[in-house]
Amino acid sequence: MRNVAIVGAGITKFGVREASWKDLVQEAGKAVFDDVPNLDKKEIDSLIVGAAQPERWVNQTHVAPLVAELLGIEVKRVISRTEVACASGQAAIRYAWLAVAMGLSDIAMVVGVEKMNTKFMNFSQSSMINVGNREFDGANGFTAPPFFALVAQRHMHDFGTTREQLAMIRVKNAEYGSYNPYAQFQKKVSVEKVIESRMVAPPLTLFDCSAITDGACALILASEEKARQLTDTPVWIVGGVQHVDYAHTTNQMGDLSHWVGLRKAARDLYEMLNIKPDDIDIAEVHDCFTISEILEYEELGFCRKGEGGKFIEEGQSYVGGKVAVNPGGGLLSNGHPLGATGVRQAWEMVMQFRGEVPKERYVDNAELGIAHNLSGMAQLHHIMAYSLKKRSDVKFGR
Amino acid sequence: MARRTLELPDSVPLSPIIDLWDQQDPDGPDATGIYDFYRNLADGELTGQKCLSCGKLVFPPQIICPSCNSTELEWVKVPEEGELYAFTELKLGAPIIVENYAPFVIAVARFGNYPENGFQISGMMFDESYEELKIGDRITWDILEIKGPGDKKRYWYYFKKL
Ligand SMILES: [Zn+2]
Repeated sequence: MRNVAIVGAGITKFGVREASWKDLVQEAGKAVFDDVPNLDKKEIDSLIVGAAQPERWVNQTHVAPLVAELLGIEVKRVISRTEVACASGQAAIRYAWLAVAMGLSDIAMVVGVEKMNTKFMNFSQSSMINVGNREFDGANGFTAPPFFALVAQRHMHDFGTTREQLAMIRVKNAEYGSYNPYAQFQKKVSVEKVIESRMVAPPLTLFDCSAITDGACALILASEEKARQLTDTPVWIVGGVQHVDYAHTTNQMGDLSHWVGLRKAARDLYEMLNIKPDDIDIAEVHDCFTISEILEYEELGFCRKGEGGKFIEEGQSYVGGKVAVNPGGGLLSNGHPLGATGVRQAWEMVMQFRGEVPKERYVDNAELGIAHNLSGMAQLHHIMAYSLKKRSDVKFGR
Repeated sequence: MARRTLELPDSVPLSPIIDLWDQQDPDGPDATGIYDFYRNLADGELTGQKCLSCGKLVFPPQIICPSCNSTELEWVKVPEEGELYAFTELKLGAPIIVENYAPFVIAVARFGNYPENGFQISGMMFDESYEELKIGDRITWDILEIKGPGDKKRYWYYFKKL
């Protein structure tokens, strides 16, 4: 495997945008081209587009060649669209990484995009029932908020996690979001404000939920040789794992307060890189709901099982704590344009490692970061590791 | 010169993609090998399957056992009494087609000795509020008749407190 680096990153403003799907793609494309001024577009040989439901929200399929046309790139090696719901963006990075690592591609572009706000908002929300098993769970109204509400209820029941602890996740991520000019929400909030916001699905209120968002984000990945020509601060992709148990429907999920798939994915990643959770400086994790981040602390091994609530209460996941979790504001502040989210997490890593974020959310001296993306009803977990230092000792395979 | 116009119909039929009970048919191009699940509901029973080869319970129903690849699966009735494992009440953002029923409770219940020898199933609950339920409540399933659109009649299930 060859070393692969991210040499450029560009993002659009996330939010309820008066912009079409194609507008968003072009904005993100221009942003990344501007970020790597000495890159000749003609050198891009591959393109992977992360997009979750363009056929439903903008009625367009076969989107990868459309993106190539919009960005003016001629793809000669690898082109595809990736779809794994909420983690479609990280999947796009993974395949671009593999193409460059295997030597098939030298410079690959990744675009993650989603346009979710339309005139038919209840249609957008209804579309989320298709992420679970549509025929058996979707039929019972199982969209994401009720599912994660059940996870929260069980976690509170099994481990004594409190309503206030859930709210503290939003408070932290809102604080960092207030220093992120691209985030959908840039206002700080209090625990009281989170708890008193509109009830969505008890125990979760509106502020416990990430939003329905439009946005796009793009990256340029390059082989080591090309990376050296394009940037002085390559951010290396040093590893990546995914894990899905045979669990897509409720009957296969077991205890909802345990995310065994994430536990196994984290174990695999740590083994691959020969690291411990303590070695991680920055973690961008998938806080689609406040409860998600609490389970992620536990399953990623930042604290013991059941102590995720205590971990946020003690401030251990703030910048300067044991591990800086979601210093970019997370999905809760940025919003969650499904296909763009995983790419936005990588964008944050690049900006952190380059020192190009406001000091209030900057993680000083960071060397290793991970991005965790989950998809659907937390059935599938995806983690990638990024570092300022390239690694030669990574154990791929068994 | 008059501009050429195309006149479109006044309305278009309900798109099947927003229909929650997008059940397959017993035959024809939309046929499914698990159609007996729906026949059983029409006959008053919520059923899962038991693999005759490896003995594992299977839910949702399938045509091949995912554990041992056997095609010999028999229908078994989901036990009538179960336990409420988790629940919430959907107050905002209900799927379009059931908006008029919101808020309604969405629950996960365990029937039999889950996971070794039982089922964990999601279901709606009506005439119940979040405040009045608690984890561990004894519940049962019952048959739900879905009427419409038009003459269409389908069968599903829901949960109720015992
Ligand atoms: Zn079997």
